Amino acid sequence: MSAVTAASAPATTSPPTPARSPGYWSGVWRRFKTDKVAVCAGLVVLAIILMAIFADYIAPADPTRSSMLRRLRPIGTPGYPLGADELGRDMLSRLIHGARLSLFMGVVPVFIAFVFGSVIGVAAGFFGGKFNTITMRTVDVFYAFPSVLLAIALSGALGAGIFNSLLSLTIVFIPPIARIAESVTTQVRSMDYVEAARASGANALTIIRVHVLGNVLGPIFVYATSLISVSMILASGLSFLGLGTKPPTPEWGLMLNTLRTAIYVQPWVAALPGVAIFITSISFNLLSDGLRSAMDVKG
Amino acid sequence: MNTPLVAMENVTVRFRGAQTVHAVNGVTLTLEPGKVLGILGESGSGKSVTLKTLLRLLPESRTDIGGSVMVDGRDVLALGPQELADYRGRVTSMIFQDPMLALDPVYTVGEQIAEAITRHEKISRREAMQRALELLQLVRIPSPERRLKAYPHEMSGGMRQRAMIALALAARPKLLLADEPTTALDATVQIQILLLLRQLQRDMGMGMLFVTHDIGVAVEVSDRLAVMYAGQIVETGTVRELISDPQHPYTKGLLAANLHGARKGERLEAIPGAPPALNEAPSSCSFAPRCRQAVEACQDGLPPVVTLGEGRIVRCVRTEAALQPA
Amino acid sequence: MSLALYVEDGSDRGGAGTPLLEARALTKHFPLGRGAVVRAVDGVDFQVRKGETLGVVGESGCGKSTTARVVMQLIPQDAGQMLFDGEAVGSAALSLKDYRRQAQMVFQDSYASLNPRLTIEDSIAFGPTVHGVPKSGAIARARDLLARVGLDPERFAARYPHELSGGQRQRVNIARALALGPRLVILDEAVSALDKSVEAQVLNLLMDLREEFGLTYIFISHDLNVVRFISDRVMVMYLGEVVEIGPVDELYEDPRHPYTSALLSAMPSMDPDNRTMEAPLAGDPPNPINPPEGCRFHPRCPQAQTVCAKVKPALTPTGPGARLAACHMEIPGSGHSCAPILEDAA
Repeated sequence: MSAVTAASAPATTSPPTPARSPGYWSGVWRRFKTDKVAVCAGLVVLAIILMAIFADYIAPADPTRSSMLRRLRPIGTPGYPLGADELGRDMLSRLIHGARLSLFMGVVPVFIAFVFGSVIGVAAGFFGGKFNTITMRTVDVFYAFPSVLLAIALSGALGAGIFNSLLSLTIVFIPPIARIAESVTTQVRSMDYVEAARASGANALTIIRVHVLGNVLGPIFVYATSLISVSMILASGLSFLGLGTKPPTPEWGLMLNTLRTAIYVQPWVAALPGVAIFITSISFNLLSDGLRSAMDVKG
Repeated sequence: MNTPLVAMENVTVRFRGAQTVHAVNGVTLTLEPGKVLGILGESGSGKSVTLKTLLRLLPESRTDIGGSVMVDGRDVLALGPQELADYRGRVTSMIFQDPMLALDPVYTVGEQIAEAITRHEKISRREAMQRALELLQLVRIPSPERRLKAYPHEMSGGMRQRAMIALALAARPKLLLADEPTTALDATVQIQILLLLRQLQRDMGMGMLFVTHDIGVAVEVSDRLAVMYAGQIVETGTVRELISDPQHPYTKGLLAANLHGARKGERLEAIPGAPPALNEAPSSCSFAPRCRQAVEACQDGLPPVVTLGEGRIVRCVRTEAALQPA
Repeated sequence: MSLALYVEDGSDRGGAGTPLLEARALTKHFPLGRGAVVRAVDGVDFQVRKGETLGVVGESGCGKSTTARVVMQLIPQDAGQMLFDGEAVGSAALSLKDYRRQAQMVFQDSYASLNPRLTIEDSIAFGPTVHGVPKSGAIARARDLLARVGLDPERFAARYPHELSGGQRQRVNIARALALGPRLVILDEAVSALDKSVEAQVLNLLMDLREEFGLTYIFISHDLNVVRFISDRVMVMYLGEVVEIGPVDELYEDPRHPYTSALLSAMPSMDPDNRTMEAPLAGDPPNPINPPEGCRFHPRCPQAQTVCAKVKPALTPTGPGARLAACHMEIPGSGHSCAPILEDAA
């Protein structure tokens, strides 16, 4: 998105270079900084990401090593700070390692859908007319299904496995992103500066690159970040139904599933994966809210 | 002369927020009953804020208002909630640039006017609707019986403006505040609304404060004019005095910029620069940085209020200097 | 700095006698569905001579802004033709891209017409880069133009639109329009949103630039004072049609079309001793969906007669000078009782 900032022209900078006034993104950052809730949410997200990356170093134990003697230990058991699951595996280590897959399933489908959805939506919004009608009505067909049902149906048809749930989640998220992209682009297209660019003889691709993308990608991106939590929950749901990850891989949704039988024995331990999902998704949502208001400029 | 209808004394309005804005900085003005005072100024001059102060329409939680505001013998700034509700509409009423601000899109025009009447008078709904019809006839809306049952969006721009005026007049106010009511209208409609307002004001004996940025419009409706700049009144006088003999450099510049009598192809005597930001209260003449006649004394303090005659004042160091014997 | 360099050599193909722009029967209709059609521009003919300023006035719905967009080719016309310096726009001799280098436009909303994510020098430099000027050259040109429109490039070049005042932004828009070295600049209500004191500055600038670059303007405005001040000729539009066109002083002092008279007498008088006593027209301007038959102004015209409701008056030469009016009172033998008598005996 920063491709449009000027290359300073060496030929003209013989007089002292004018102080570049703070750009758009520094303004966004300045406003974002003052939003305490969003900053906290951002820090939590950062912590979770770091935790996922360095899981091997942080986790106190091997997340797959089971022990029939230590099944379903409560929180606070020596050596098992967050207890042990139904196979005697250390919950803390499993939660830390589980962050990897859960984050992956949250971020990757949304990112791929962001790319494809933006292309579809921006093209439909910019060119308008019949092309818009055909594209957007096709998108609407998919959009009409509730996302949970669509994800389950697609995963069911494709079969279980990480790749297939990734694919089905991506397909689920393309329509909503395309719709947002289309509506934002339609707004931008009618702005006078786009008209002025057309009046200067620029072709459609140049106008999209210079004048449209910079003004639409931000809002689309913000919307997409709000989908990350949905994606995580859907992926957990797929795993819960046995359509996603296979045991013994640690993944929050799957952990929630396998621990549900222990809900009467160790309710607190059984609830932990749900808490992790909740904290992560709400942090992503608050972060995206904060970004949205920080990016909303008027003067 | 009897007591004035409006007497504002050294009124200041300050908005608190991320940045404090000193919107009105010591406005003193009076309006006699049945007269029209035009308040002329550009965007940010504080003219609309002054008007809203008279109806207490500014958000109370983040506005500091100083000075005193008397309307028809009432201390407006001291009114309690019940008194304020009684005051709004019955003593003072307001019309806006955008009639959709005043008209509710989900009620018919007749219902809204009738509601405004019954808010202040105990009469039956039937009587109120009859009065509403009379008001629509008064503002000369064509086929008023039909318009009574029309929703605002079913009317054209000029007709909506008339309906809003009828609504404002529902409780027969003594003071009508007009905030650029003709700015958004086409030329041929604008003159109709101006003539209507002038006639209604005269027939009903109302006082009117008419805020506008357009000198021509102000001249059509006003008896007297007040020119505002950066939250202060810089010059007042009768329309004739201000048009034919402007004293303040800003008034002169505005008249030149109106292009009246400007000769084609000649460069205009434009006022350079732009109005100041109002982040702090002015400590010297706000216009001095743009003024071609500025002297050092302009920086020394707030310009003196020079009285040239009955109701004729100018806030300028140069005017004062010219009056003093050499 | 040699700014004249940026003006295309101005290759005056047609010679001084050829109008710079000629619109012939320009028509633009917008279908609304269910058979309703907005006749925004309906058979408009006019010429803009080289070096002159043509003012265009009229009320909302008269089609002046649609005319501007068609002339700029932002929307295609449904019918009619445009000749630029004698060449048909869009023909082999004058491609759309070439035409757009020679005709530019300044819009009313100074904020909406600048990309909020580009610095103002990038906004100005965009047009030239589209036409193949290298980026560094385009930036240099942008800075020269900024200086020319009265904004110090050292202070302003790297700023963003929201950091500028309305008057400054409109100067940037003017610089942007000039960056391609156009011969024709369309100003669509370009000073209408500005405060009066700032408007006067921008008008001065427009006059200076017109002289310096030998520009031709189409100046669209609802403000009759401003149009009188800056225009050489004025075109009056009503409901998608031209009702009168002619030299500014003749038209203002002796309007021939009743609508022109009404518009002029609707202007505030600026004389407290001589206020306007009567509104020249009643009601609002009608909207251009299904306009009336015959003369479109006849339902509001104080002098309408039966012929006006039936026959559409053509633009006809009238009075001294090159004046045209579309009114039956000016057409010899039209059947209107005030029409000039036909001199076919001579």
